[in-house]
Order: sequence, then C-alpha cells, then structure tokens
Amino acid sequence: MIVGITIITVSILVNQVTKETFSKNNPGLDAVVGAKGSPLQLILSSIHHIDIPTGNISYKNARKIIKHPAIKSAIPISLGDNFQNFRIVGTNKSFLKLYKANLISGTAWSQPMQAVIGYNVSKITKLKINKFFVGSHGLIDTGDVHAEQPYKVVGVLKKTGTILDNLILTSLDSVWNLHSVTNKDKLEITSLLLKYKNKTSSFSFPRLINKGTNMQAASPSFEISKLLKLTGNAHRIVDYLSVLIMILSFLGILFTLLNNINERKYDLAVLRTLGFSRWKLFSIILSEGMIISILGSTIGLIFGYIVYESMYYFSIVGRSLELGQLSFLNDLFLIWIIVNIIAFITCLVPCIKVYKQNIRSTLLNS
Amino acid sequence: MLICEDISFDIDGQKLFSNINLNLKPQKDLLIIGPSGIGKTTLLSILCGIQKPTTGKITYNSIDLYNLPENKIDEFRGKNLGVVFQNFNLINTFTVKQNLEIAVSAIDTKKSIPFFNILDRVGIANKSHIKVANLSIGEKQRLAVARAFVGDPKWVFCDEPTSSLDDKNANIIANLIKEESLRCKASLVLITHDSRIQTLIKFSKILKLGDEL
Repeated sequence: MIVGITIITVSILVNQVTKETFSKNNPGLDAVVGAKGSPLQLILSSIHHIDIPTGNISYKNARKIIKHPAIKSAIPISLGDNFQNFRIVGTNKSFLKLYKANLISGTAWSQPMQAVIGYNVSKITKLKINKFFVGSHGLIDTGDVHAEQPYKVVGVLKKTGTILDNLILTSLDSVWNLHSVTNKDKLEITSLLLKYKNKTSSFSFPRLINKGTNMQAASPSFEISKLLKLTGNAHRIVDYLSVLIMILSFLGILFTLLNNINERKYDLAVLRTLGFSRWKLFSIILSEGMIISILGSTIGLIFGYIVYESMYYFSIVGRSLELGQLSFLNDLFLIWIIVNIIAFITCLVPCIKVYKQNIRSTLLNS
Repeated sequence: MLICEDISFDIDGQKLFSNINLNLKPQKDLLIIGPSGIGKTTLLSILCGIQKPTTGKITYNSIDLYNLPENKIDEFRGKNLGVVFQNFNLINTFTVKQNLEIAVSAIDTKKSIPFFNILDRVGIANKSHIKVANLSIGEKQRLAVARAFVGDPKWVFCDEPTSSLDDKNANIIANLIKEESLRCKASLVLITHDSRIQTLIKFSKILKLGDEL
C-alpha cells in the first residue's frame, strides 16, 4: 500500500510539475535560434536551462536575424558559466521584461561584471546586494573559477515561479569580457529567443534559418510537446506498475483480514456471547481494515512527497522544477479517496464473513 | 420472569428434545439434569439466545427473545444474562483482567467496575495480569464465574460448572455461584450431569430432561 501510493504520488508530482514548469518557463516565445544540433537540446538549454547548449552562433549573424522583418522581438543569451550550479546568463534587459521580472532590491546591471540574481539564487547562496562572487567555467560547478574577475550583485529579483528564480543575469559584455573576446567580428552568443510579428512565420521562418544558414531554429511548444509525449509513455508504465502494486496491496489487506478473522473466529464468537452485536464486530473489523488503509495511503503520500522534494534538492534537473505548486493536490486527494473507497469495499468481504458467523457452531468446533 | 413454552429442537430432522416448558420466577434457582448427549448444552444455548429453537417461545419479563432482531438478542444477552460455559469460552490470549474488561465493554456501562473486588471474591485477584492460557482449570472456572457476574445479570446460566473439578474445587465453585447469584439477586439456571451438585446447592426447581417439570 505504502509503496504503491509513494510511486503514484511521485509520478503525479513529477508529471504535473514538469508540465507546469515547462509551460511557465516559456513566456510566449515562438522560436529559439542557435547552433545546429538537437532542437530539443537547444530548447532545453536556452529556455529551461536544463541541458547543455548545442554550441555558439556568431553575434554578427544573430543581429541579422534580429533585424528580420518577421521578428517582433529577439533576445540574445550567452551561457557558459555558473555559480554554485546556478547558471550565469549573459543577455540584455529585455530578458527581464520578457519574464515580467521585478526587483526586490537594487537595480538592473548598468556595467559589465554587474549581476542581477534570481530569488532562489539569493535564498540558497545567501548572496546579497553589493556582494561579490566568482563564476565557474561550465554549467556545473567544477571549481575552475574566474577568480580574477568577480561579479558584483546589483539587484535581486522577486519570486516569479519560473526558471528566472534560478538564474544569474548579467550583460552580454560581462560574458565576453570574462572570456577575453575583444574582436567584434568574433563575438558569439548561445542563442536568440524570438517572438514573431505574425504566427504564420512559424512555418516559413524556421525553414529559412535551417536551410539557408549554419544555424537552426526550433519551436519550444513543438519540441516540449514531443518530449512530454515521450515521458508520458514512461509515466504511463510507472502508473500501470503502481496500479498493479495497489491491487496487490488491496489483496494483501483482504487476505490479512481474512486470515486474522480465521485465527480469531473463536474469540469473535466469544465476544458475541458476551453481548457484542454482529454490527459492533462488523464495525470493529471494518475499522481495523480502514486504519491500515488510511495510514498506509497517508504515509505513502508523505513518502512520495519526500522523494519528490529529494529530487529537487539532490538533482540539477530537479532545481529547474518549480516546487510549491498546489494544483496537483486535488489529484493526489482524489487518488487518496479512491484508494480508500476500494479498501473499504475490500474490507466488506471479511466483515460480511464475521457478520454471518454462526457462534454456536464456531464455539462447538473450537 | 423466564418462561419457556413448548421448546423443541431438531438436528438433521431428528428430535433432540421436544415440548419443554418451564417457568422461573425472579431469584429462584433451576437445576436441569440429564445424562450426556440428551441436549442440555443445546437447551442452555437456546435459553441464552445463542441457538434458535426449532419451535417454541422464550420470554424474559415478557420480552419474546427470538422475536428480537439478532443484534438486539446479542445486546440483550450482554446486558441481562451471565453465562458460564462448559469449556469456559475465555479469550486465552488476554489476561484475566482483560477478559473481564472486554465483557464489561460489551455492556456499554458507564459505572466503574471494581475488577479487583470481583477477582478477590472468586479468589484469583493475584492472577489479574496473567494470561488465561497460563491458568489452571480451576482458575479458569473461577474466572468464567467472575465474568458471568461482572455485569450484575438478572439471569445466570451455568453449563457443567463442576463436572471437571475434584470435590474440594467443586464445592468452592458451587458456593461461589450461589453467593454471586444471591449478591446480584439473579435467577440461576444450572445444567449438569454431575450428581454432586444437588448436595452443594439447594434448587427451587429441578428439570430432568425427558421428564415433565
């Protein structure tokens, strides 16, 4: 019972929170342009900050895309470093507007090597305004730091419930300076986050980029729906497995109660002779079964939530998920109710057996 | 008042006994005797509401016992009748005290029960925390008597309470039953094939199964 509910809980939490997180992290972007490679990898790295980028693209070429008549807005981002596993994103101030981000304190960056940090970054790393920190090479903390050029925190963002809470934002110049890129023709970025003027461009524009350049354009909604379809199948297998475990749990409760009753049939008959009515014994057996079921299902929910929370704290992927969303509580509560209704029906079998017990023959046979 | 009218009982179509009539006034004693296999224990089960008779009617103070729903029969038995079964019917995994407590919980009484006094009266107060499985036959018999009287019943039924005991213990148990039924002002119905019982207790009535009362 506990194992079954734990697996179902984790499955629901991961499934729903992943869907919600993917949905919330995309503030209406139509396409991402980056280096050729896996389009899903480009989306995951540029919007959801999970995977590693497919490579870099020339900023010169990117500027041509920004000026393209089909483009309403284009925000360049440059990845490459992190601080305590929180990604440092070089971008411009439009990125803040894109996520409707507001500052709790401080201001946005105005010079290179100034940084604005997300809510979770501030909470976990304890960084505050005017504090300095040094970024590490790569997107995972390896200890290889840019000690010579520290960042200064100039602003802290309010909680948004999006990936922004887990990012450190700075200007593109900061990233270029840090990596000693001075030749303007050799400037590179990781990707461009695009919104079209007209949705009809979603067919023509990617084709233009994919066929006419050494870059690729990927659609966030298309790639994420493909991903969710794939993970959805895995979730379904996990769900079937947990349903099987639940069925075994119900059978376990049924046979445990039947076995208990068989072992205690003499005692139950004695209780009847003492004045316990059939209904009283019926309700005692039912209570025993329901206590097992309610305790088991509740502990399962708690274990499931603990496993889910552990994923958040112990995995980098988990950090990209947004905890604290309550919409899944209804589903979990519904499952808890269904499990206990089935347990109730299962418990009726031994209860009816006790109700129909013939006390005289039981006492004589014992 | 306990009234039985034309009680008969069949097993597989064969009559075990028939046309038993009896009338027991409050605080009077009835001894039912007869050889083994004549149906004494079955008759006691019928009187206690455990086994429905094939025909006949049993009324306690004008309550027709087998006209009550089964749940009410159980409740009636718990509140009004005390039964000492031939094989005691104690819960062996419970302690002596727990056996009394469970009997009291069936009655739903609000008054506090002086368990120690009850066990003291039957002489097993020092065994209150011992499991029934570890008691001797005599001690189990005493506990069975204590349990039958714990709820101050109006009618007490005893099935072969002395037949497995030696003379000394038979005398003790018989006196105990008599004293407790006097204390509770209960009517006593005792069923036995043990001929010693008539020398130990004076009964108002004697029913020999097969004979008329």
